[in-house]
Amino acid sequence: MNLTKTVNRVYKIYGVKVNAVQDERSVILSGECNDWQTIVKIGKMFVDKKSGKHVVNDIKLSGYTEQPPMLPSVCDKSLDKTQWDVVVIGGGISGCSVARELSKYKLKVLLVEKHSDVAHGASGANDGMVHAGIDLKHQCKKLHYGVKGNAMYQQVCSDLGVEFERAGQYVVFSSKFIQLLGRSYLSRAKKHNIPNVKMIGKKEICNIEPQVKDYAVGALKIPSTGAVSPYKLTIAYAENAQQNGVTVSLNTAVLSLEHNDKEITSVVTNRGTFTSKCVINCAGVFADKIAEMAGDRYFSIHPRKGVDLLMDPKGKGLPTNAISLAPTLKTLKQNKNTKGGGIIKTVDGNILLGPNAHEVPEREDTTTAMSDVNEVFEKQNKCCPSLQRGNIIAYFAGVRASTYEEDFIIERSRKISNLIHVAGIQSPGLTAAPAFSVDVAEMTVELLKSRGETVEKNANYNPKRIAPVIAKNLEESELDKLITDNPDYGKIICRCEQISLGEIKQAINNPLGVATIDGVKRRVRAGMGRCQGGFCMPMVLKTIADELKVDIKDVNKCDNGSYIAIGNIKEI
Amino acid sequence: MQHYDIVIIGGGPAGLAAAIKASGQAKVLLIEREQRLGGILKQCIHDGFGVVRFGEKLSGPEYADRFVKELAKTNVEVALFSFVTNVRRADMFELTYVCENGVKNVTCDKIILATGCRERTKNGIFIQGDRCSGVYTAGAAQNLVNILGVMPGRRTVILGSGDIGLIMARRLTLEGAKVLGVYEAKPTPSGLTRNIHQCLHDFDIPLHLSKTVTRVFGRDRLEKVEISDVDDKMRPIAGTEQIVECDTLILAVGLIPENEIANDLSVKLDYKTKGAFVDQNCQTLTDNVYACGNALHVNDLVDYVSESGEIAGVNACKHNGERKLTNISVSGKIMYVVPQMLDVNSDLDKVVMYFRASDDLGNQRLTITSNGETVFTKRYLKLLPPEMERIVVDFSKASNLNNITVTLEDA
Amino acid sequence: MDMVCIVCPNGCRLTVENNNGEISVAGAKCKRGEAFAKTELTCPTRSITSSVRTTVSDYPVVSVRTDGEIPKDKIFELIAILSKFTLDKKVPIGTILIKNVCGTEVNVITTTEMY
Repeated sequence: MNLTKTVNRVYKIYGVKVNAVQDERSVILSGECNDWQTIVKIGKMFVDKKSGKHVVNDIKLSGYTEQPPMLPSVCDKSLDKTQWDVVVIGGGISGCSVARELSKYKLKVLLVEKHSDVAHGASGANDGMVHAGIDLKHQCKKLHYGVKGNAMYQQVCSDLGVEFERAGQYVVFSSKFIQLLGRSYLSRAKKHNIPNVKMIGKKEICNIEPQVKDYAVGALKIPSTGAVSPYKLTIAYAENAQQNGVTVSLNTAVLSLEHNDKEITSVVTNRGTFTSKCVINCAGVFADKIAEMAGDRYFSIHPRKGVDLLMDPKGKGLPTNAISLAPTLKTLKQNKNTKGGGIIKTVDGNILLGPNAHEVPEREDTTTAMSDVNEVFEKQNKCCPSLQRGNIIAYFAGVRASTYEEDFIIERSRKISNLIHVAGIQSPGLTAAPAFSVDVAEMTVELLKSRGETVEKNANYNPKRIAPVIAKNLEESELDKLITDNPDYGKIICRCEQISLGEIKQAINNPLGVATIDGVKRRVRAGMGRCQGGFCMPMVLKTIADELKVDIKDVNKCDNGSYIAIGNIKEI
Repeated sequence: MQHYDIVIIGGGPAGLAAAIKASGQAKVLLIEREQRLGGILKQCIHDGFGVVRFGEKLSGPEYADRFVKELAKTNVEVALFSFVTNVRRADMFELTYVCENGVKNVTCDKIILATGCRERTKNGIFIQGDRCSGVYTAGAAQNLVNILGVMPGRRTVILGSGDIGLIMARRLTLEGAKVLGVYEAKPTPSGLTRNIHQCLHDFDIPLHLSKTVTRVFGRDRLEKVEISDVDDKMRPIAGTEQIVECDTLILAVGLIPENEIANDLSVKLDYKTKGAFVDQNCQTLTDNVYACGNALHVNDLVDYVSESGEIAGVNACKHNGERKLTNISVSGKIMYVVPQMLDVNSDLDKVVMYFRASDDLGNQRLTITSNGETVFTKRYLKLLPPEMERIVVDFSKASNLNNITVTLEDA
Repeated sequence: MDMVCIVCPNGCRLTVENNNGEISVAGAKCKRGEAFAKTELTCPTRSITSSVRTTVSDYPVVSVRTDGEIPKDKIFELIAILSKFTLDKKVPIGTILIKNVCGTEVNVITTTEMY
């Protein structure tokens, strides 16, 4: 790439003076600009697929100082002077799946997560779609791992005891012209080995999904699309990893990495400084920050926020399948980085709308705005005109960890011999995780071997996780027996989602030791329904306090500091 | 399978009243999802309940207790901590519920729905921003304080001037919290006037009308809220935002009748009340399914909740024949009328009707006509939407009952 | 002056006039409204509901109220007394916990049946 030419083009288009230099691995940009969207667009202009160089975008947003990262309030020495074979940084789907694959080997593995639970970031706030890979470009890691990962889902979820449904997806065409363009999907599906993709006619799609009858001319049927609960899968991976010997340390943040430009010599956290033979960077939106700490920053993460809306499953006018509107040339032009979301049916029977996609400077900006809700609803309302605004029961934002190249970075560091990057894991990261985690584990073993270590298989490895009971899904006789054995399973606490005291206690006593309101909510859905915990939250709060024998004021919604009550009345 | 004449779902004030009235005349099962009877009254420890019925100012638990003790004298069977998971309609109704003794199946001829209501949430009114702790519905906050005995926070903002919001303002103030203000999106208060006085004015708590909370801030715990003025359609006006620092936000932004079981039975609902369409006997359009209390429409007085429970209980015991329903329509400044139908084939002389005005109105005349003939008329000096009105109408003398219209107009 | 009667949920809007000690009340639907207006003008009183701590399992607190009205200016004095009170056994609903509270001849009674 001729950098001067691109610098001049940037100036011509945006009037921004950018300084661009390059080294072996990346193009490094600096300068200043008063608009974040422009900064991201400029970064994209320096992407050069041919050279394979990454973009490090240091253009400053005028007048903006980055918020300090959220850090745990605990500070102890529980990990001080410990020694590990592998440290995995980050408890999202990447880190947890990698940790579980590593547990197949006889290694001392530590997974650190700075929040009070795993799946706190994008892994906890996405729509859970297991993508077929139909819209991905050829020859990228997203496609490679996405298609491979999709095929592994049935097995992985069955091993981990996580609900998975391969119900397929329909991309609906609103005009003959778009339908004609949509034919290109068929050849792409063939090229990418995506099974059984086919065109269906107006009659068939309207039969399958009557809500689209007013506008649909036909649809693309993608049978391999599935749905999973992203946080339940992440939790399951972490639990299975732990069951097989991995140490999971929550509320643990990496503060710095000591290195000598060749290797990381120690890891500094809020719970002490320790050493590790290998470090795996699965830090999501902070992956470039971790790389920088290791002296190996050659890519930038530009956070891209997406908002999803959750619909009341008991509401009217909802579709029964995952559907999305085929993009028109216009919408494609407007936003190249997202398929524009869709309507997804979750494994729990909820309908999710979304997500949208907006570049944001803040890595942990999970706030929602009315404009997000309106944008997502109006867009999906075109796909399913019978949707009702009044049936929106919740909305949430997740931040994608995108690189400027818009592809995964899954590789050993070229500079730091004991570092592996698993970065830029955005959609379809959830789909791809079962596949790339296997490769990362192998990469790790290679790395350790190259350092003269011997790595043995873990003879006690058990891929099966004992899944928690979901009473609602049991046959009547099974449920009756369960209640006879433990009456708590007959005491319904969360009325919207029909969750019993037994299930809540089971969630409180989860293997990772996450005893928070949100932790219970994500494990057993208490508080996920239409009343959003209005009725059951006080009961869940009391049950947590009773089970853990702690004061109610010490129970948090999520991270430390998110208390529910300040203390007993009459004592304040 | 155990068979009952009537199964009542919900052991709050409506269900209790229905059960007591139906007892002795029918074999009755009352199913309550919580550990104790009384419903939401258990946590409504403020007084003012039962003034109409008992001529006393009781607290919620006391009011409920009178019914619980009355019920104990009857032969009604009570299933506590029991949750109905499935209702099917065959020749009769089949119900499945779970309780600590396992999964139970029963059949019955008639069902009375007394399932109460639930609260609108933060998301239901589209508050945006962070996902911090410190935001509670008023009912959840009331449970924390009055049942668990814990304080939600120190500096509180209350959104919504409905009765629960006002009562919580006083309750938290008495417990030592600072209530910074009550904000209401409507131009007029939503709660009873007496509560504005005894809960806010008595404690110098400011009430801000035509303002709403649009955003919450706080990484872990709530730190501040953004308040915006609203226009006449209650939409926030950009540029009017102000920030109030607080650690607690309590939402008293409306109640919605709980009708999950009604939906399972395909009971037709009124979009205005969000409860079932019923006749004067509280029978829904689905034969043998009755609805009462806050599941039918949100009441502001428990006395009327009990009354509709009694109507349902008495009538569910009767072996009524074929119904002949005629519609009751409304015209003028009326938000809604319950019942929405009249069964011409059953008793017509003492029909209890409830209505709400759609606006703050002075000097109004309510007229009920059938085929143009006036059946009932009453003058009101003042009507407010938060204050439901009750009338008893004698339809028995009307010559030919159809085209029934309830009209509210300037007197 | 105008005031709202808080005796019952009807919330009658009262017009009260004080002609040299002779208080006249208009707008009350019942006698209690008249009485309310007169006390409100001379010595306003309120009945108070609250709760007290207990050491009984399943009941962290139990609800209480005054069995009559106490002067408005004694409200926080009453609350302070309740803060110091702990109930150590199950008692029937309506049990008097504190007699003649703040010297008002009004008692504090429990309002929840502890099953």
